[in-house]
Amino acid sequence: MIQRADLPTRRNEAWKYSDLRAAMDGVALDAKRSAATPTHGGVIGALAAQAGNVETLVLSPGQTIVRVDRPAKTFAPRLLDTHVAAGATLVRVVVQEDSDAVSLDAAHVRVAAGGTFRQFVLAEGGKLARVETHVSVDGEAAEIELNGAYLASTGKHADLTSVIMHNAPGAETRQLIKGVAAKGGRGVFQGKIVVERAAQQTDARQYHHGMLLEAGGEIFAKPELLIHADDVQCAHGNTAGGLDEAAKFYLRSRGVPEKEARAMLIEAFLVGAIPKGLPEAIDAELRERIGKWLEAHA
Amino acid sequence: MFEVRDLHVAVGGAEIIKGLTLSVPAGETHAIMGPNGAGKSTLAYALAGRDRYEVTAGSATLDGTDLFALEPEERAAKGLFLSFQYPVEIPGLSAIAFLKAALNAQRKANGQEPTPAPQLLKLLREKAAALKIDEEMLKRPLNVGFSGGEKKRFEALQMAVLQPRFAILDETDSGLDIDALRIVAENVNALRAPDRAMLVITHYQRLLDYIKPDRVHILARGAIVASGGPELALELERDGYDKYLRAA
Repeated sequence: MIQRADLPTRRNEAWKYSDLRAAMDGVALDAKRSAATPTHGGVIGALAAQAGNVETLVLSPGQTIVRVDRPAKTFAPRLLDTHVAAGATLVRVVVQEDSDAVSLDAAHVRVAAGGTFRQFVLAEGGKLARVETHVSVDGEAAEIELNGAYLASTGKHADLTSVIMHNAPGAETRQLIKGVAAKGGRGVFQGKIVVERAAQQTDARQYHHGMLLEAGGEIFAKPELLIHADDVQCAHGNTAGGLDEAAKFYLRSRGVPEKEARAMLIEAFLVGAIPKGLPEAIDAELRERIGKWLEAHA
Repeated sequence: MFEVRDLHVAVGGAEIIKGLTLSVPAGETHAIMGPNGAGKSTLAYALAGRDRYEVTAGSATLDGTDLFALEPEERAAKGLFLSFQYPVEIPGLSAIAFLKAALNAQRKANGQEPTPAPQLLKLLREKAAALKIDEEMLKRPLNVGFSGGEKKRFEALQMAVLQPRFAILDETDSGLDIDALRIVAENVNALRAPDRAMLVITHYQRLLDYIKPDRVHILARGAIVASGGPELALELERDGYDKYLRAA
């Protein structure tokens, strides 16, 4: 059982920028059952288990599933425990809608040989909202794409955390996270990629680009690459900055009003993280959400 | 139509334009020539309204409207167009979306309905073909991976679509090979009209072989130090800017 006193604070490395214990002040901990079975997915996984909120999804070899997950707008930690069998493909889109709640969502994804896991998270934040993804590459030549975008408006905290363990050789991993923070908003990206000794010929790229929309926004990024194999290609990049003033002037000089120019540029920046080839309706929803957020907050 | 009087512009506290006066009547094309550091691009940016280009004195009017009282987008809607020396790259925004936003924003500011999509597409195709711009290029992110020549051709396309009343071409020849220069110049020339005026800013006389100016002004140390007919450009090509730098 996880009690209030067990909740992580900033002193815990994995929660360095997201003080869960402080955020849970005044929120009731749900404990329908004890965590009898060992769970994956860290603290969120354990909280989900004790709330009876774990979903298991096993794909059969060669099967393709596309799913959209929408974390609750109340405190209801949940875990998706999934196994992508050989040659199967799981495409997962997570839409974490703006709320005032502590919103916790975790996925634990095991990928077998030749399996594909593609994920895109759109996080609008909450009192504290975290979408955490643990990927374990267990078979050869898997393909992983773990993209996301966070939009942190005033008073919102949006956290995208992921751990990708490469335990088998020849995987191709791509991660592109983009995010914006308005005044008083906080965006967090923690991304760890581990390449074990057995995972030779892993090709992993990880990029995070944050944009502070105005003074008083906060972006925290902790990219980590741990490589224990010697025949691999790994790259990562991490930037944070403001809006490109030269680009804004270019648009304005062509007649586009300042507010509109700003929104166009931020949108252009964010949509770069949306993966190609998502089902049309999902792609349209993501773009529409970003557009609406920009109308309200940019 | 376009009048600049005793203009002073400072950048970061340093005065770059020091009392510049210029008048371009409707239907005419004028050239401003000057050495590096004379203030040519500063003049262009100040007129278009870029931040940090501070107008400390003087005026600029287009059809009698005080440009400095307007935001950059309002100046554009009024008919001012600046062809950039270094067009900006915007990943994630397609060239076509950019053009559509620009055209419809200007139409809106002038109380007109947006151009319907099919009509807009037809217009873009027609103008792009004249500039030998591949339609595929319009779908690409704005200026990203465009060659120097493609960027300048795309500037010319914007001008052809937006049909400005007064266009400033800032070093349109830089980064262009001879063929691209000819194509861009032909399209600029096609836009010459009795109700339109242009200001061509350049280092070299070469561009003026293609875009023949009615008047040539020499800008040195922040002011116009000489004005004349097209022959002035040829004299500069022969003798250089030395004489004017010493006199200024």
